[in-house]
Amino acid sequence: STMEGQNIREVKINLNASHQKLEEVLGKIQQLTPFRFVYNSSQVKAIPPVSINVTNTSVETILQQLLTPNHFSFEQNKAQVIITRTQDLTFATLNRAIPTMVEWADTSITAQGKVRDDKGQPLPGVTITIKGKNRGVAADASGNFAIRADEKDSLIFKAIGFAPLTVSAGGNLGNIALSPSTTSLSDVVIVGYGSQTRRDLTGTITTVKGADIRNLPVSDAAQAIQGRVAGVDIVRSDGSPGTTPSIRIRGTGTINNSEPLIIIDGVPASSLSDINNNDIASMEVLKDASSSAIYGTRAANGVIIITTKKGSYNEKLNTSVNIYRGVSNVRRYIPLLTAPELVTLKQERYTNDGLSVPAIWQDPYYAVQRTDWQKALFNTGNVTNADISIRGGSAFSNYLFSVGYYDEKGMITNTYFKRYTVRINSEHRLNKRLKVGENLQLTARKRNALDTYSSQTGLIFSALRFNPAIPVKDETGAYGSAQASNELGDINNPVYTAETTDAWVKSYRVLANAFAELEIVRDLKFRVNYAFDGTLSNSYTFLPKTLTQVRTRDDAELTQGDTTSNSQLAEAFLTFNKTLAQKHQITLTGGVSYQKYTGSYFAAKRNGFDDESPDMLVLDNGSLVIDAAGNYHATNVLASSFVRGFYSFKGKYLLTATMRADGSSRFAEGHRWGYFPAVSAGWRVSDENFFKENVHFMSNLKVTGGWGVLGNQNVSEFQYLAAVAKNRRYNFGDLPVTGTWNASIANPNITWEKAHMTNISMEMGFLQSALNATVTYFNKNTIDMLVPAVQMDTHGTSVVPDQNIGRLNNHGVELELSYQGGKKDFTYFVAANATMIRNKVTKLYAKDTYISSSNYGRQNQEISRTYEGQPIASFYGWKTAGLYQTQSEIDNDAYLANDSRRANIKPGDVRFVDVNGDGAITEADRVNLGDPNPRLQYGIQMSGNYKGFDLSLAFTGVAGVKLYNADKMQGLDPTYSYNYYKEEMNRWHGEGTSNSIPRMTLTDNNGNYRTSDRFIEKGDYFALRNVALGYTIPAKLWGNAGGPGIRVYVAGQNMFILTNYSGLNPELGYTDGNRQRGVDVATYPQARSITVGASLNF
Amino acid sequence: CDKVLDVTPKGNYTTATYWRTQSDAVNGITGIYNILLEEDFTGHAEFTFDICSDDEYRAGDHSEDVAIENFTYDASNAQVRFSWRWKYEMINRSNNALIYIPKIEKMDEDIRNRSLGEAHFLRAFAYWRLMLIYGEVPVVTEDDVLASSYNHPKVSADSLRGMIQTDLLAAADLLPDTYGANDKGRVTKGTAWGFLCKLYMNWEKLDQALIYGEKVTTSPNYKLASTYLENFTPATSNNDEMLFAVQTSDTWGYSDFTTYHTPREWGGWNFHQPLQTLVDEFEAGDARKAVSVMGPGDKVDIGTEIATYSASMSETGYHFRKFSSWKSNGGLNYSLKTPLLRTADIMLLVAEAKIRTQGAGAGDAEINQVRKRAGLAEVSGAGMPALMHERRCELSGENERHQDLIRWDKAKLIDITTYYNKPKYGKNGNILVAARTFVRPKHYYFPLPQSEIDKSNGVLIQNENY
Repeated sequence: STMEGQNIREVKINLNASHQKLEEVLGKIQQLTPFRFVYNSSQVKAIPPVSINVTNTSVETILQQLLTPNHFSFEQNKAQVIITRTQDLTFATLNRAIPTMVEWADTSITAQGKVRDDKGQPLPGVTITIKGKNRGVAADASGNFAIRADEKDSLIFKAIGFAPLTVSAGGNLGNIALSPSTTSLSDVVIVGYGSQTRRDLTGTITTVKGADIRNLPVSDAAQAIQGRVAGVDIVRSDGSPGTTPSIRIRGTGTINNSEPLIIIDGVPASSLSDINNNDIASMEVLKDASSSAIYGTRAANGVIIITTKKGSYNEKLNTSVNIYRGVSNVRRYIPLLTAPELVTLKQERYTNDGLSVPAIWQDPYYAVQRTDWQKALFNTGNVTNADISIRGGSAFSNYLFSVGYYDEKGMITNTYFKRYTVRINSEHRLNKRLKVGENLQLTARKRNALDTYSSQTGLIFSALRFNPAIPVKDETGAYGSAQASNELGDINNPVYTAETTDAWVKSYRVLANAFAELEIVRDLKFRVNYAFDGTLSNSYTFLPKTLTQVRTRDDAELTQGDTTSNSQLAEAFLTFNKTLAQKHQITLTGGVSYQKYTGSYFAAKRNGFDDESPDMLVLDNGSLVIDAAGNYHATNVLASSFVRGFYSFKGKYLLTATMRADGSSRFAEGHRWGYFPAVSAGWRVSDENFFKENVHFMSNLKVTGGWGVLGNQNVSEFQYLAAVAKNRRYNFGDLPVTGTWNASIANPNITWEKAHMTNISMEMGFLQSALNATVTYFNKNTIDMLVPAVQMDTHGTSVVPDQNIGRLNNHGVELELSYQGGKKDFTYFVAANATMIRNKVTKLYAKDTYISSSNYGRQNQEISRTYEGQPIASFYGWKTAGLYQTQSEIDNDAYLANDSRRANIKPGDVRFVDVNGDGAITEADRVNLGDPNPRLQYGIQMSGNYKGFDLSLAFTGVAGVKLYNADKMQGLDPTYSYNYYKEEMNRWHGEGTSNSIPRMTLTDNNGNYRTSDRFIEKGDYFALRNVALGYTIPAKLWGNAGGPGIRVYVAGQNMFILTNYSGLNPELGYTDGNRQRGVDVATYPQARSITVGASLNF
Repeated sequence: CDKVLDVTPKGNYTTATYWRTQSDAVNGITGIYNILLEEDFTGHAEFTFDICSDDEYRAGDHSEDVAIENFTYDASNAQVRFSWRWKYEMINRSNNALIYIPKIEKMDEDIRNRSLGEAHFLRAFAYWRLMLIYGEVPVVTEDDVLASSYNHPKVSADSLRGMIQTDLLAAADLLPDTYGANDKGRVTKGTAWGFLCKLYMNWEKLDQALIYGEKVTTSPNYKLASTYLENFTPATSNNDEMLFAVQTSDTWGYSDFTTYHTPREWGGWNFHQPLQTLVDEFEAGDARKAVSVMGPGDKVDIGTEIATYSASMSETGYHFRKFSSWKSNGGLNYSLKTPLLRTADIMLLVAEAKIRTQGAGAGDAEINQVRKRAGLAEVSGAGMPALMHERRCELSGENERHQDLIRWDKAKLIDITTYYNKPKYGKNGNILVAARTFVRPKHYYFPLPQSEIDKSNGVLIQNENY
């Protein structure tokens, strides 16, 4: 274009400015001319106000007037004018060289250019330093940079998440492309109370870059790393908006709480769901004892450290905006009977039993299909996200400010999750020894609290069971109801419940910390950190007056509650880091930490709301106070001291030793303090000369090994005392009176659990480290595992205390592979990981003892037990061998030879296996039916770039896992007065008609639907979790002036899940803590969703 | 350094800080009564064990009830499991009261005696129900509570009866005769005597039963209510006759007993429907019939209207009327107390003891007191058949029939198998439940919950025949 040809000498303008900031004046020139200025904003800001008054003067002359007196030079490069300080006054030079400004007369060149990422997008904030000189600049929002350097200098480009690049200052710098790094050896890895280069690690830490999980439409960051880290099992127990997934690092380490410790910017933060994914710079997963032992008694389940994005010093203001919106749908429905089919089977149920068919099943009304309740309940959901972040920095301060909005509407009416986030991070160098800073995270969120979960009254349970002849609403507009007959079951219309219940929880959270770091002497730093984590939650549940459904409510009822919880952390530690004689590197870290958690709650309930209009539903408008409750949450305190030493000899021989002492208030005096040592060592074989000389196919080989002890104190407080609670009221003379009860039994000797863990790992790089592989073996023994002391119901309903008597083993192998390939226009990256873990309880109370778990459904069926010698939460029940087809099969069956029930068993009943051979089917024939813990979990990530296009895929899978389809067990059981699964059509109704689905009967005398292998299914699946196709709009569209970087994309979640499992979703979580897993209770299905979005950087 | 770890359980009592004052004692006792409201205990589940009887059809939609009614239940039956732990919870709360209340330094001795009496009684009540349902069960003593020791072998029914006797005698000593209005619903001397009478009848100690039964029937404190209806009307159900009742209340703290018994159309869950055979048992002119059951065409005040009962509301054509009540603005009225023991029951047990020890006619006076209130003519020379008829009409639905039939069968007064080997018929003559086989002695008791057997690791032995 004509503009491109213009020269600063030729373009003449009028300009009048009096005592204005230089930056503003430059801005004016930009408005009047085609030229764009590139400069370091902090340097320009430091200049005192300028004045100028010229007419028809060339831009060159104007710039000379403005800039030269202020020690700036400038050069034109097409439409850009690069302004550089004649001497880079970086922080380091300021510290050293003020006031001797004599060096600035050197004859260096201005090295200038542009940095992009692998997708061709301008990469802002990249630091460019000159090798061997203590000078540097940061690229601006458009990735442009300019630095004074000698022609012979090397420039080093560094950015978080990208492999560093060294380029000659005299070379072509116009198109510097940085590649993302996943396993770069020089990457900085965040470890507890410090950081290390990956090269020096002796433990097992996996890093997930923020860039890898950016813009994934999930509410919880844990969900975003599903399948990306070997050894980490992330599972959602249901798909409702805002659900927090369970995280298990290296197996289920205890029957108690086995969630890992979450650290956000140095503060233990308990949850990942309050953080905007796009604020995350990196997530480090600390898996082995050596890495996590510095967190002592909270580390037994692993540690996840989140580092949020920050501004950089000397970084120009960068703005980044992310917007996406998507829709979600149910992936599949369970095939159910239609009304005519149901009537046929209900009639058969009575006829088979020799009973007359009740009138309702002869009533033609109930033989007409009116509603598919699943389709009535599930609609289209959607998700919207918008966030903006601004960051930058001067020589003395840096900052980041971001706001985010995430809004997910579920597929069921009135299910939603909304979140607003604000993040403010900054750091300031007060002088050359002292820096201070803060991280502030503010979150407001709102989530519905509808019961989608219960297998008694939950919405999904109700939709799967509600009679299909009943309309959603009848012709008068009234909601359909099952009130007409017991034969229709005791369920309320799920659409009625979803549309009339208003139940939600709002939370407001502040997670803030302030820190100061002082360099006491060279190499010795002292850091103090104070943190506050406070949450205020409001809950609101309005249940309408319900007279026309089966489960009636005489009066509308409103419950409102407030909960506060807060924790304060104070810690101080010293770090000493020194390299002696260029071969001995020593890092010592030691400090103390104190954390206190407190909280309280209040809740009140009224009923009698005459006016149910939404605006009037506040407690004041109810008539009768039903309940008012409030108390403190149990306080707990942790006090700790810790020390870690790292030693490296020539970078080849590495040794780390850690010790932490932790005191926990959860235990009685004398049982409070625990000591957690760990050691690990590494050998960088590839740095040995013999290796370098002889092994050419391998560029990296490191072997590490370690052992350590970790603790877990995350059990209920005050178990060493027997509690008396004042909440068991009764009436005398029709007046309410306070009643108390012994709410718990005491165990004065209770203390923390310990995990002894061994870790051996080998890290390999091939093809100049384009191909990397890591193989790790671990063995983790949990000892003194806390298990409930008393199991017998003769203790009543008091909470029984835990006792330190159990033992549990997890051992396994983790594999991680990655390959980076392609060149120029086409680059690609492939990573895969796999984990094989075996879990076994090695000790409980005594031989043949077990820990029970919650029972399922109306008939209170036991499904899972944790036995000594078996994996945690194994399924337990009877084995089966088809159905009896004829009476003579029953009469001649050796399994029933001595069974008193034989006369009650009929053809079409299940043939249970007499495991113990006593000729009768009894409770003694129950056996372990399978393990819900996957043998193999794996994940595959692929990404590729071609010109402006990028494509990424993330797959997850599990294999060798058993699931128990409890919903199907109930959904086929003909003794229930509900609708049944479609499969019921294949029931036995005469010899040879079925060998799997028993006859219809009202009196299941054979216990056909007892817990058995009939409902065990393989839970293997392979899923395309995320796929995204993006296009980056070429910068030249905006002219060469460095316009905004824009990427647009379309992405899909759960695009396919390949599985033979018959339920709604093969990914089943925990239904009773760790005691029950993989039991399908028909929970909120995971959606398939499509999103479109755009990211902008300017 | 350890000091920073000293935290107190703010807002919560512990056994170290509780049981210090009189109100601690009184509240502790209230906490035991609280269990009576539990749905899995006297709030409903306990009444499920009477659906075996020939008086009612289970109705409802609990398939575990089908097995109970058909005598095809096994040790894993949910109903068998539900009520077990609530009975032991009652025993444990009572044990705690009996451990700590004597140690309270300063309290009114009358209140102390009353409280200890209540604890003894409620513990006896829990063992009584355990003994009736399961026969032989483990015992948890005060020492076991202090030692947190809960896995014990079961003891014989006779040992249980002995323990129940000891507790009831202690309660009878300690409890007052009556209470003021604000304490209505607490157990009295009469309650303890009444249960002693029931215990001795069950134990076949008829002389003893007579002694304690007559203490009740001759006392002016426990006289029959003037009408049968008073017992089943919210405002008057806490009367002298009501020796023991669940103090459910509409304000809060209610049990679902009423919900279970009420037709769906009128806000209930439609369980426990009286059979035609029970309805036919009432003599013409028996005032108890209209109070006890409702049938087609009956006008019922359901609060918002006078509604007409229709046969379509029930499989048998009937519902119990005596257990339902409605508020004037709609919805069920939960202030109708659930009877657990009435003087009329004791009156008829006294009559039975007299007939069985002294011959027909010996119980005429007691039988006639009950009949007179029902508006029926006096009988004379009444023998066991007349007594059985009277108990069936007087106590319909009150969880007595199945236990009565078992008791009479054990005493060889009847053959229970002939009572149960008949179908239960619905309103159209249709078969609701086929003829059932009652097996002696297996079906005298239910099995112990399988989950408890499993957890006990060999300590707890299942009842014979299961």
